[in-house]
Amino acid sequence: MSIRSQLLKGILEGCILSMIKREATYGYELSLKLQAFGLTNISEGSIYPILLRLQKENLVEGEMRKSETGPRRKYYYLTEEGLKALEEFQDHWEAIKSPVDRIIKGGKAR
Amino acid sequence: MKVKDMIQLNNVKREQLNEPNLAYYEEMMLYIRLSSSKSEQHTEEILLELLEHLLEAQKEGKIAEEVFGKNPKAYCQELIAEIPSETRKEQIKFAGYISLLFLAIVSFLNGIVGFGFHYFFQFGTGLSTFHLGSGIAIVLIDLNILYLFILGALKWLKSTAFKPDKQKNKWIEFIQMWLVCTLSIGLFMLVIYLMPEFGRSVSIPTIAFAGIGVILYLLSLLIKKYL
Repeated sequence: MSIRSQLLKGILEGCILSMIKREATYGYELSLKLQAFGLTNISEGSIYPILLRLQKENLVEGEMRKSETGPRRKYYYLTEEGLKALEEFQDHWEAIKSPVDRIIKGGKAR
Repeated sequence: MKVKDMIQLNNVKREQLNEPNLAYYEEMMLYIRLSSSKSEQHTEEILLELLEHLLEAQKEGKIAEEVFGKNPKAYCQELIAEIPSETRKEQIKFAGYISLLFLAIVSFLNGIVGFGFHYFFQFGTGLSTFHLGSGIAIVLIDLNILYLFILGALKWLKSTAFKPDKQKNKWIEFIQMWLVCTLSIGLFMLVIYLMPEFGRSVSIPTIAFAGIGVILYLLSLLIKKYL
């Protein structure tokens, strides 16, 4: 796998954890929410390998539940471990966000 | 939700897909299901999720390529890599079930055909004599050949997925499959033919094999249902 897609995956993982923390959600809805935030160049299907991995690592849990409008769907919840992983991601992201921004935008070193 | 119910639900829901989306989805489904060592429960769960997603997307006028990408094989491999493996217990259970079923069919056919030949054409004595040690060795080796055959067949089926010019290769695929089947059956027979005689000699009425076959079949059902 290329570095680019590895990087993207890690970030997407953090975004998914973050969305699920806000509200338990199912796959299709999750992809719509991510798109609504502007992540439109990522194919919708790419959330599923990540959801599978998050489940395997026990960071999220899936549960079949009846949705308000329609059929039974698999809703995802954040676990305790998931919450911790999300906090870690937020810390990492905070630490890296502005330095990277400055570097690639040609700003000055601190 | 149980695996059986999920497969059932999948069959029903799949009918709502339009033709190109159905074709795309069914290829994916086949490929993912053929990953033999993966948990069936998790496999069917994700298949159902993908189907739900595609159905929703279809309502918005999207096509499968837009949802899952232009390279379904790579996408499926990505998914498969993340599906948990089947537990040891389930794997052993399944192997036991298949083995018993195979032995049941072979034993039953052997009993019925042998009995029929004797009864209708006075062929043979109606008694089957074999050596206990050789018999057990033959069963064990043939089960291993069966295992390799199934593994090979699954691999072969997987390799035929996602081929755009499927129609063209149909005859070649058929002949390949036919050759492998013939070879496997030949191997089963060769083991029986070449096995030296050892162990106690036992004689039982040939028709008893049919009875043994039925018992083995019932045992296989028990394993499937209750273990």
